[in-house]
Amino acid sequence: MTMAALDANTPVMEHEDTRDSRRLGLWLTFPAQILVLFIAVFPILMQVYISLTDWSPLDGIGWWQAHELWNSFANYSDLMADDRFWSALWRTVLVMAICVPCEFLLGLGLAILFVDDFPGRRFLYSVLLIPMMVVPAVAGYMFFMLFQSGGPVNDILSFFYGAPVTIAWLSDPDLAFFAVIVSDIWQWTPLMFLILLAGMVGVPEDQLRAATLLGASWATRFRTIVLPRMKTIIIIALAIRVIENFKVFDNFYIMTGGGPGVATETISIYIYKVTQQELIWGYVAAVALVILIALSVVSALAIKRMSREVSQ
Amino acid sequence: MTSIHLENLGKTFGSFTALKNMNLEIADGEFVALLGPSGCGKSTTMNMISGMIEPSEGEIRFGDRDMRGVPMSRRGVGFVFQNYAIFTHMTVYENLAYGLRATGVAKAERERRVNDMAEFLHLTPLLKRPAAGLSVNILQRLAIGRSAIMEPAIFLLDEPLSNVDAAFRAVMRTELKHLQREFRQTMVYVTHDQLEAMTMADRIAVMDHGKLLQVGTPIDVYNNPSNVFVAGFLGSPGMNLIKGRSVMADGVMRVDLGEAGLSAPLGDALSRSAREGKAVVYGFRPEHCELTDGDGLRLPVNFVERIGARTILHMGRDGHSIKGVFDNRVPVRQGDIVTLAIDPSNIRLFDADTGNAIAEAH
Repeated sequence: MTMAALDANTPVMEHEDTRDSRRLGLWLTFPAQILVLFIAVFPILMQVYISLTDWSPLDGIGWWQAHELWNSFANYSDLMADDRFWSALWRTVLVMAICVPCEFLLGLGLAILFVDDFPGRRFLYSVLLIPMMVVPAVAGYMFFMLFQSGGPVNDILSFFYGAPVTIAWLSDPDLAFFAVIVSDIWQWTPLMFLILLAGMVGVPEDQLRAATLLGASWATRFRTIVLPRMKTIIIIALAIRVIENFKVFDNFYIMTGGGPGVATETISIYIYKVTQQELIWGYVAAVALVILIALSVVSALAIKRMSREVSQ
Repeated sequence: MTSIHLENLGKTFGSFTALKNMNLEIADGEFVALLGPSGCGKSTTMNMISGMIEPSEGEIRFGDRDMRGVPMSRRGVGFVFQNYAIFTHMTVYENLAYGLRATGVAKAERERRVNDMAEFLHLTPLLKRPAAGLSVNILQRLAIGRSAIMEPAIFLLDEPLSNVDAAFRAVMRTELKHLQREFRQTMVYVTHDQLEAMTMADRIAVMDHGKLLQVGTPIDVYNNPSNVFVAGFLGSPGMNLIKGRSVMADGVMRVDLGEAGLSAPLGDALSRSAREGKAVVYGFRPEHCELTDGDGLRLPVNFVERIGARTILHMGRDGHSIKGVFDNRVPVRQGDIVTLAIDPSNIRLFDADTGNAIAEAH
């Protein structure tokens, strides 16, 4: 076969090749696709289905027969009128609006301190990362004990105040809210610190030196070189914490059980309580679906923004 | 514009001595190249002048001003980094305006100076472009412009051409020299490339292992190297250096070069300085020898290297490696035995123990 003949044939062969290989690829990935379908798509469809019924496991019928308890969109209209849901959602957003900025600023401050070498840096660095590695439930129990009225927090306050302090931290709605937020900040500032430090170390040393030689002060360098160069990593860090913080449960539940009253009841605790204590699963499915959609929209926006930054 | 004075400058990093007893005076408006192989201390010197690192000992003065403790942001030093350190997240305009903005120059003044500088460096059409993705020659001009716009008294350049391919380097050398003449600033240029140092600098400072070996005009350093390192480092190929012993025969001083034979008689100046029986290093440039039918060093040709305009012959027996540069049509083949006549006025002798030049012949 001459080269010319080969060239003439190539496009046709390539065409058939791609079609064949595409079909083969489909067959080869078929089992994985089924698996993904069951892991991701199926539960969501099931959730949508159940959310349109009054089904509960106590009804004595399987979930696939839930259509017998069809209630159209009653769960969704209930949801709209459910003050406890809205207040839990509002509280979750409030927790997020307090915790994430605090964790970010503390993490950024620590990263600034740790970006240059100093004696004992490695040791302190390891110590600072410990909270992140504590199981959240354990951290919750730790803070539960710390904030007891006879606990260490009051002891320390007594020492400075000079007289015995007996604040009932976890029984007062405002103080309990403060306490759970402290526990969250304590636990997750290290993650913020870790990510931001990694980003800060990646800022090219030469650029900082160049800026210094051009007469830029530390603050100017930070604003014009460090922060813009860290933009992507800052967005990633914030996105991770926003999504994680929205799901906060373990330490809050252990410290206060969502109480006193509903003072620390976040959306996860609310869902858990409604599921386990009131057993109205159809309603819970509707709640969870609304949250899932809301979170997905937020994440999608963040990812879109991020990929735009990265591509620049 | 400012002169730079380095006095007994030294720097140690832990137990490692990067620089020792450096004394150098750089005049106002002078272009000095610090030349040496990697790790010779040239960048350390440069970083100390800029204030990026503090000297362990000694003094740096700009004019009369002692620079001890003066932070790098207040030294009035322009610095062009090896990788240019362009702020790639900004536009060309923002890069040029950076220093002016950081030091609070008013907007109208800032715009005027940026536009002037852009005009001067032919960057005007690129002002709005993001700095990321510009070609190397533009980045270099931008890096120079970004520093020059601050009108620094002193300009430091850290191997700015090391990332550029050979053909482009020649263009950039001319451009840099031209810019220096325009700016008339005191410039210190760090490089390991002797061609850059020779072509651009008013004076060259050759360094090795943290020591300043020789300072002088390019031609002076090339012709009269003060020791064997400078002799071998400058020139391509470097000076031929053959170990031998000075001998007196028939009333004239020669050098016994072992198997290569006896050298031609030494000149008067060299003869007076070299005592008889002294271990010496006999040096001559590869360009300063020719093939002859008469007296000379008899050497086998080991390798013929044709580089186009010239042909380099690698000659000598074990222990000697002598190179000679000849016309490209030299009728010699590998394995031939040739006789090499060396121009006596261009012979340099070095003390074999210290490596220092024995006498300066002029």
